[in-house]
Amino acid sequence: MKKIQILGTGCPKCKKLAENAEAAARALGIEFELVKVTDLNEIMKFGVMMTPALAVDGQVKVVGKVPAPDALKGMLK
Amino acid sequence: MAECCGVKRGKTVLLYACSGGANVAEISDQAARELMFEGQGAMFCLAGLGADIQGMVQTARDADVNLLIDGCPMDCAKKTFDRHGITNYRQIKVTDLGIEKAKGVRCTREQVDQVVARAREILADEK
Repeated sequence: MKKIQILGTGCPKCKKLAENAEAAARALGIEFELVKVTDLNEIMKFGVMMTPALAVDGQVKVVGKVPAPDALKGMLK
Repeated sequence: MAECCGVKRGKTVLLYACSGGANVAEISDQAARELMFEGQGAMFCLAGLGADIQGMVQTARDADVNLLIDGCPMDCAKKTFDRHGITNYRQIKVTDLGIEKAKGVRCTREQVDQVVARAREILADEK
């Protein structure tokens, strides 16, 4: 099962990234767990400087951007 | 953080200073901090990229512009970016501005101003 983490304190962009990531994962038909990481100290541990960010199985895939679901599919495979 | 939760304005600019021990490193560091405090960008950790911290590498990759302020022809910041295959950077080399590298010498206000001025030109070109 893939672990999809949305790094961000909960703004509209963070929520949009979560929605897009979920849509991409569902379109791919993969099993996934989506976790929102909202604590700034936890976010900083990933080494990201900008949010929202997306991590898949602990690997940061995108920082400071909200890609469309189609663009996210390649990051979730 | 450089930006968070929908407050992004303009391009994401990350600033990296030389981390050496000579005067050119002090100049680079002070210039980067001055640029950060005047709102030109956010300083980020060159050592983190050198240490292959994955999230930091991705942060640099996804920035609009990474401004590298190398101190001398060793080009450590540039080489770090090149090693990661990150190409969205501009480089300033302090010694290219006619400043001599020396150990045990403090930087001067004029030298910092010189680097800041060059950085402002580059960033104006990028915006």
